[in-house]
Amino acid sequence: MKKQLMTGVLATLLSSTTMAATDITWWHAMSGQLGETVNTIARDFNASQDEYNIKPVFKGSYVETLTAGIAAYRADQAPNILQVADVGAATIINARGVAKPVEDILVESGYGFNNQDYIAGVRNFYADSNGKMIGMPFNSSTPVLYYNKDILAKVGVDAPKTYEEMEQVASKLKEQGYATFSQSLTPWIMFENFKSRHNLPVANKNNGFDAPATKIMINTPDMAMHFNKLKDWSDKGYYKYYGSDWDANQTPFEKEQVAMWLGSSGSFGGLRNRVDFELGTTYLPYWQSMNKDAGRTFIGGAALFAIDGKPKKEQQAVAAFFSFLTSPETQMFWHKSTGYVTVTKAAYALTKKSGYYQEQPDAEVGVKQLSLPGGEWTKGYRLGFYSQIQEIMHREFDNVFANRISVEKALNNIDKESQVILSRFARTVR
Amino acid sequence: MEQRQQYTHSALPYFLLVPQIAIIAIFFFYPAAEAVYLSFMLEDPWGQSSLFVGLENYTILFNSTEYLKSVVFTLGFALVVSFLSLSIALLLAVKANNILHGKGAYKITLTWVYAVAPAVAGIMGGFMFNPHIGVFTEIFASLGWDFSLYTDPFDATFVLVLVSVWKQVSVNFIYFLAGLQSISYAVNEAAMLDCESDRRRFWTITFPLLAPTGFFLLVINLTYAFFETFGVIDTLTSGGPGGGTTSLVYKIYRDGFIGTDLGGSAAQSVVLLVLVLALTWVQFKFVEKRVHY
Amino acid sequence: MKKNQWLDHVILIIGALFMIIPIWLIFASSTHNPNTIISDGLQWLPGGNFTSVYTEVWNKSIGFSSDVNAKSMIINSMIMGLGFAIGKIIISMMAAYALVYFRMPFASLWFWLIFVTLLLPLEVRIIPSYEVVASLGMLNSFSGLILPLIASATATFFFRQFFRTIPNELLEAAQLDNAGPIRFFLDILLPLSKTMIAAIFIIMFVVGWNQYLWPIMMTTDESYNTIVMGIKQTLSDISQSSQPRYDHAFALVIFAMLPPILVIIIFQRWFIKGLVETEK
Repeated sequence: MKKQLMTGVLATLLSSTTMAATDITWWHAMSGQLGETVNTIARDFNASQDEYNIKPVFKGSYVETLTAGIAAYRADQAPNILQVADVGAATIINARGVAKPVEDILVESGYGFNNQDYIAGVRNFYADSNGKMIGMPFNSSTPVLYYNKDILAKVGVDAPKTYEEMEQVASKLKEQGYATFSQSLTPWIMFENFKSRHNLPVANKNNGFDAPATKIMINTPDMAMHFNKLKDWSDKGYYKYYGSDWDANQTPFEKEQVAMWLGSSGSFGGLRNRVDFELGTTYLPYWQSMNKDAGRTFIGGAALFAIDGKPKKEQQAVAAFFSFLTSPETQMFWHKSTGYVTVTKAAYALTKKSGYYQEQPDAEVGVKQLSLPGGEWTKGYRLGFYSQIQEIMHREFDNVFANRISVEKALNNIDKESQVILSRFARTVR
Repeated sequence: MEQRQQYTHSALPYFLLVPQIAIIAIFFFYPAAEAVYLSFMLEDPWGQSSLFVGLENYTILFNSTEYLKSVVFTLGFALVVSFLSLSIALLLAVKANNILHGKGAYKITLTWVYAVAPAVAGIMGGFMFNPHIGVFTEIFASLGWDFSLYTDPFDATFVLVLVSVWKQVSVNFIYFLAGLQSISYAVNEAAMLDCESDRRRFWTITFPLLAPTGFFLLVINLTYAFFETFGVIDTLTSGGPGGGTTSLVYKIYRDGFIGTDLGGSAAQSVVLLVLVLALTWVQFKFVEKRVHY
Repeated sequence: MKKNQWLDHVILIIGALFMIIPIWLIFASSTHNPNTIISDGLQWLPGGNFTSVYTEVWNKSIGFSSDVNAKSMIINSMIMGLGFAIGKIIISMMAAYALVYFRMPFASLWFWLIFVTLLLPLEVRIIPSYEVVASLGMLNSFSGLILPLIASATATFFFRQFFRTIPNELLEAAQLDNAGPIRFFLDILLPLSKTMIAAIFIIMFVVGWNQYLWPIMMTTDESYNTIVMGIKQTLSDISQSSQPRYDHAFALVIFAMLPPILVIIIFQRWFIKGLVETEK
């Protein structure tokens, strides 16, 4: 007994003296079940090797995490890894020297990097104009269409692939007294990914990748047409706009008040869990009249950024962690536990091989949609102060669907106000 | 107000003031000065580039109709919230002070809510007034009110007022009750002989005696409605629908935190500070003079 | 007077219901399956999960290291509440005493300097405040958590208003007795202020107790997590998570409410006692 105790003490002494593991911190915004999964990944990483020790810290919402990161950076207290949401990506990427590109960090520490390993719709979203990846895509999802198979079967229609079909389905559903669809997050689904799906530019300056954009392509014929249709459908009771709140638009689908819902590819788990009907998942609809070969969408969610200016040893630890995080096994674990897509092709292949998509066919839709052929404008966008612009969009669309303003006027307002914001941001970029 | 009797001591008062002044100098005036400085700058939030832009941040504000709307909303909202929180609390405090039985139980239930964290209050409100599953939405619907938190600015404002008042009544109640109880029984008894009606006695004797408490609470409630309700707005409406519930502080938070435009948001802070300072000064000038101690 | 009492009770009952119904809903809902809450909203009647949910939440560790749980977070919130309330009362009573009872040059300037701090909430000045705390080396410490919050004038303002309601004759009498300012403060003012101290203590304790944004900004060490941080960390919505544990979050909300309620009850007693004594 005593001897055992002694060896135990000795072992701890040894492990703490000889191995002096390098500690790094990771600030994230993942609460609830997501936060627990983050902790599991961090524990697994720490257990997988003994050179490095990562410590995840919950820092509140995305906004609070970013603010904490900014405050800490300004006071030289930044963490090694900071999670930043898609809308904030431009803020950190355009600030020179704040984030060290993941590509550099991995290559410098001897891990290879090939952006072709990543799924097409993931690859460029957090990359610069040359395709060099700056932020590591972490929790990623893309908008897809969920539908109530029972209702559609009752009416005798199939899930629509295009908005043209959507319109036809809607009139049939209406005859039977059903509203057709709702959607969560208008800017994300009806502007950003709408553009990508149709291979149309989101903003000037190559969607903001080449230089800070000064204008978003919101006041354009395609947007005017689409939003006029949405407005028309809303008047007819085909489309239900429940405001800018995410849940307020998802719940009616769960409660069978609308037959379809456009939402995040990651939402299927919860939906399956709660709904009493047969759930179906398919690609985001598009206008055939606009682009008959509609292509891929891009990701939303958040990425992990490695803060620059840290000691070499710590950067190696970050590289080791990123390498661990992108390994097919970790990615598959994350994908299965949270519903977010895998970011690498190898992880997708591994998940496929594991037979997971046979049990959970919904889980594959997002990844497949992100792997569709793309074009010039399917990389994503880089827009500074973008969440302010999203707020303006929410405000104007609220007004459109409440009949307080016309679609044209709303698009014009967004265009004008966003130009002011974008040009301000452009001036902060050196 | 008559001149108070005071000590003339040279060092002691400064010694007493030092801790307070030191703390506010470090944690208030320094950050506030930085906000003033930032309000003339255009910066990326990480502090990597910084550009002097003069009054640009201010001119953008003064040319924005949304900002003006937000000023109007904030003033209206603050007045309604303060008035309702104060009058409901006063009514309840007077009644609780009046009754003979069950005082303790009422007191505890009425102050209980104060323990709820503001962040939590917003989430609770979100559930209760949710358009699909909210218990109160259902009640309103059965009364014929097609209530819609996320699409109707009036309904959204209604909920914000309700939740903000709900959060604030308890504090006011505690203070009013303390104030009422410290008004001596003698005064009350004398008053009872003089005037017969309860109501008259309240307005002529009790109310003026409560005035110092009331004035203090007025200031506290206005600052609450101005500054502390933004958490409720953030969780319940995010300033919507249609931007109809964007208060000044929520806008500062949104542009500075969510939008990471530090310069623009700092300019708003400065304008707000000046605005509220002016309001408070007026309050002190005109209301405090009438309050007798 | 008695004849109207039933009306008073009706008004009080309506008021009490207005205040207490939301809390009841949260409590009743916390004992249901979270899917019920998501699909059907808050529940009026309790469900069957009371023991399981509450024991699980109490014992569950929230966070990366295993030693952060409801108990440790409640202890931290307690320290925040007590530290904040006591610190603030001491500092603000001293300042208010100086402002009201001493003839001082620039007295009103000092007052306004303190008063304006009411008008710029911490949220607005959070980035520079963080810088200050970081440069003082107070990140991840209770002093760094508490001190910046004390920099607001509510309590000072309150004590000033209160001191001014105390009759002038008391000070005159004290001065006739040759009682110095410190004696006057300790022997006369302090006992008179009992009620107000109790009222302020309740309020400040709860403010300190409910801190969320500042702790989450300036601590990276989970051992400083407060209970509201725990609630936020447990809470996620259906856009983020397939299975948001609203039942757990609500149970934590109920736990988080209990200590402040205890403080309210205890200090309300003190309140009344203080009042009765001053009557004599």
